[in-house]
Amino acid sequence: MNNTIIIGSGPAGLTAAVTCAENGVDVVVIDEYMIAGGRLLGQLYEEPNGSWWNGIKESTTLYEKAINLGVKFHFNTAVNNIEQSNGLWVVYTEKDTFYTSNLLLATGAAESPVPVPGWTLPGVMSVGAAQVMTNVQRVKPGERGVIIGVNVLSAVIAMELQLAGVEIACLTLPKRNRITMKAGDPRKVLDSLLHVSHMAPSPFVRYGSKLMKNDFMKKLGVNFYPKKGVKMWDIPIQLRKAVTKIYGEDEVEGVTLATINADGEVVSGSEEHIPVDFVCIAGGLYPLAELAAVAGCPFYLVEELGGYVPLHNERMETPLEGLYVAGNITGIEGAKVAAAQGTTAGLSMAHRSGIKGLDNTINDSIKMTEQTRNSAPIQFHPEIEVGRKKILQQWEAYQSTKRESICY
Amino acid sequence: MKEDEMIICRCEEVSYEELETAAAKYKCSARELKLRTRAGMGYCGGRSCRTMVDKIAAASANDQNRTCVSLKYQPPIRPISFENLGRGR
Ligand SMILES: Cc1cc2nc3c(=O)[nH]c(=O)nc-3n(C[C@H](O)[C@H](O)[C@H](O)COP(=O)(O)OP(=O)(O)OC[C@H]3O[C@@H](n4cnc5c(N)ncnc54)[C@H](O)[C@@H]3O)c2cc1C
Ligand code: FES
Repeated sequence: MNNTIIIGSGPAGLTAAVTCAENGVDVVVIDEYMIAGGRLLGQLYEEPNGSWWNGIKESTTLYEKAINLGVKFHFNTAVNNIEQSNGLWVVYTEKDTFYTSNLLLATGAAESPVPVPGWTLPGVMSVGAAQVMTNVQRVKPGERGVIIGVNVLSAVIAMELQLAGVEIACLTLPKRNRITMKAGDPRKVLDSLLHVSHMAPSPFVRYGSKLMKNDFMKKLGVNFYPKKGVKMWDIPIQLRKAVTKIYGEDEVEGVTLATINADGEVVSGSEEHIPVDFVCIAGGLYPLAELAAVAGCPFYLVEELGGYVPLHNERMETPLEGLYVAGNITGIEGAKVAAAQGTTAGLSMAHRSGIKGLDNTINDSIKMTEQTRNSAPIQFHPEIEVGRKKILQQWEAYQSTKRESICY
Repeated sequence: MKEDEMIICRCEEVSYEELETAAAKYKCSARELKLRTRAGMGYCGGRSCRTMVDKIAAASANDQNRTCVSLKYQPPIRPISFENLGRGR
């Protein structure tokens, strides 16, 4: 029997573990990966103030802090099911079964696939896989690659690959189909790109972000978007081109790139061949909430948060007694927000374990999360605030129907 | 390789065309699309293809349910070796 179990040792899980332990609560952390850090491990970039964010260093610091506070870790251990039984949470892994009063799901996010003809060839990988190979395992994914999918994550990872001496021929769109949809629509992509424009050295994108406030201007922006593309950190970003095919005999040998009009339709006869030895697919992220789903937690679909999200309040409680969530499982944001949510979840669990006098600290921590969100250098979804409000409204609505059903 | 032939569900080898055809014909939910084509029923438990099956269904169906995950998750959500399955139960 444990007091508190945390599934996931990313920034959210690690910070929650440290917070619990600091308040005198016993904690066990379970992760299917072999080391602590989650998606933090792959992160390496320069912040707007010129300092460097080194995910491996951040993870090690947090992990050592947790170890010194007596937190126990089980790595290489995947949780394959959870259920509530007699007021306890039962956590199933392949070898062992754990029991706990408080359970935190901090399982992070997963990458959405973007299907492109030829994408089952060896040498095609998700952009996150390329990030882990390069920054964590220190292996080059290839010499020269193309990234399909233009978004915040792919822009950041392109820069990281370039730092490691890997050439990126370009970032470009997937051809539009019923699955790629928005990701293949130049106007929608430009829209989201304008929110990271402060990171771009190109005056086109920088001035563009002020000029293209309304839709009409945006349409103009895509129409006049330079055929050569614009450059971010010297990497061409092509919004008026799309990959129609990845080709190669037994592995990736290149991609077919075509010009597209402002609506994302291919201009026939414009195809050209770009030789590359690897291809990254960047379809964006969605909350990895499988365990909340098998537990029977209520969900709500919030596009701004990245997909289906388990209902939760600002204290990181779910409607299920003793079950908590923190980090990207609650919506896609950066590592600092995930860590701030982890603090709140840790405090809430300590409170439920009977530690007194935490109410003010919990409220301060909720405010801290908001501040961290507001000062984040990049936002995965420009309307993240709207998404956060939606889920809180759903929480309220759920609580009031529950109260009604108890009355009748 | 043409777009129609591209594989969406790797485990069950279901193509884009098969999914598109079924979605256009039945205008059904993601769950029904899965049952009709087997996309999402492979050994990865739909981990690789579920978001794509969802999107194809959402593009043809009239309404999307916001309060419940469209393709149900079933335990075990990670593969377990046969030896360890059911041990101690
Ligand atoms: C590919 C990728 C790249 C990213 N790059 C950036 C970036 O450059 N900058 C940025 O700010 N944000 C980035 N993010 C967003 C990132 O998710 C957050 O920054 C942050 O890491 C989220 O923290 P978390 O603690 O919620 O989850 P994570 O850091 O994802 O940690 C979740 C942990 O849970 C474990 N886990 C999941 N399911 C199970 C299970 N069933 N059993 C056992 N263990 C499990 C995982 O192994 C993992 O260690 C990236 C995300 C992804 C997916
Ligand atoms: S890819 Fe469809 S079930 Fe595995």
